[in-house]
Amino acid sequence: MPLIIDKKTYKSRLIIGSGKYKNFEETKKALEASGAEMITVALKRTNLGQNDKQKNLLDYIDPNTYKILPNTAGCFSSEDAIRVCLIARELLNDNLVKLEVLADKETLLPNEEETLAAAKELVQLGFSVMVYTTDNVELAIELERVGCVSVMPLASPIGTGQGIKNSNNLKNIIKNANIPIIVDAGIGTASDATIAMELGCDAVLLNSAIAMSDNPVQMAEAMKHAVIAGRKAFNAKRMKISNIAIPSSKKTDALS
Amino acid sequence: MNIILNGEKFSIDKKTSIKDILIQNNIGEKNIVVEVNKEIISKTFWDQITFEENDQIEIITAVGGG
Repeated sequence: MPLIIDKKTYKSRLIIGSGKYKNFEETKKALEASGAEMITVALKRTNLGQNDKQKNLLDYIDPNTYKILPNTAGCFSSEDAIRVCLIARELLNDNLVKLEVLADKETLLPNEEETLAAAKELVQLGFSVMVYTTDNVELAIELERVGCVSVMPLASPIGTGQGIKNSNNLKNIIKNANIPIIVDAGIGTASDATIAMELGCDAVLLNSAIAMSDNPVQMAEAMKHAVIAGRKAFNAKRMKISNIAIPSSKKTDALS
Repeated sequence: MNIILNGEKFSIDKKTSIKDILIQNNIGEKNIVVEVNKEIISKTFWDQITFEENDQIEIITAVGGG
């Protein structure tokens, strides 16, 4: 089964963020190396008095080639998040958004109440909502029920690169979901992305793990393979774990 | 008169339009959204709209983000 988000099919199960790169050129190269078809962007005030020939991120990432996923990053209330989504729709002429409503600047953990309130209203306004959330199973179920097109729980806090700290909760969310579950936040390196996929996640969304590595283009390629490996392993199903050693060759093949 | 442009005080003539503000600040018309007092103003109206004292204008674009 391919990955389908909001009725659109994706070959790649990796979604990357566009933040923290040295420049737009590096962002573009990393995106190409990652094989991702979807990339998140944030919406911010323009710099005043700049050279009008100065390139914009959207000059480097062609919306006709890549699915641009505008993110409500930096919003701490449903009201602000909805405002950002309306701006995004005007800018990109698209209803797909990543909803992120944070609880506080220290932890950057999602504000569950505001996230749910914003999700409900955005769906009513005709948006297709991919929602960043905690690993709370009940909330994930509720976000699907109100009409989100994807639920995206964290693996560990944003930008920490701590890897997957909540395998059991993620598994429970996956077990109860009928829409794509995408791990968003916390991935630190390629093996973390593989583990997320082996757990049964439909895709992985990451940013810092690539952008903050010493070689973002190489890490982007590593992530591409990591996600493919994890998905294949998930489909193939791992062997049973045994407490005792079992020889790889049959007893009858032994010389003595 | 004064307006608040992207959070900063900005002095304009009375009949200034959004288009004029963009030109004065070297901002191209591509890839931006303009809000006046938190209401999105469609591009069609950028040369028609004029402002009141202390109006809040936000010019927003896509930037890198996770």
